[in-house]
Amino acid sequence: MSHIVTIQTEVRCRESVTAACRRLQLPQPTEGTHRLFTNQATGLAVTLPAWRYPVVCELPTGTLRYDHYGGRWGDPRQLDRFLQGYAVERATLVARRSGHAVHEEPLSDGSIRLVVQMEGAA
Amino acid sequence: MKSIEIIVSPQGEARIETRGYAGAACQDASRLLEAALGVRQSEQLTSAFFQQPVSVPSHLSAGGHTNPS
Repeated sequence: MSHIVTIQTEVRCRESVTAACRRLQLPQPTEGTHRLFTNQATGLAVTLPAWRYPVVCELPTGTLRYDHYGGRWGDPRQLDRFLQGYAVERATLVARRSGHAVHEEPLSDGSIRLVVQMEGAA
Repeated sequence: MKSIEIIVSPQGEARIETRGYAGAACQDASRLLEAALGVRQSEQLTSAFFQQPVSVPSHLSAGGHTNPS
């Protein structure tokens, strides 16, 4: 290896959000203004299992709006699971559109490993 | 063989490693994926990063040398 980079995922791609919902067997995301307890948020709403309010993705800024009331209105691990699914779908989409093959495998610690073959690339 | 490995943690954080590259070409190769995924938190350069890409000087290429004797 020649360099290692750690990335904090930002949710900015509508197509990848839709693909992540499909991967996790969640309802398809809906665009609009959504209620979060006493507040509202506008963007692409994702419905997580057993969450009282949706997670609203503000795609232009990469910001996620939600209120799980310290975990009492929704398990934060479901949000982590969505972020993982989004990152996998986003990386796969970008790599394939650049003409590269992608291999995916689950790891024992719950991580997902992607290998992008760059053979022939500069 | 050149490849890029991405490990996405259960929390959604991505770790990108380039493999098979010498020198700074690895940064060019992974830049698109990094930008697509989000914000860079850290970068670690390995020894391979500081290796120069291998090139053969013209005076050593086939048919290009002269016998000093």
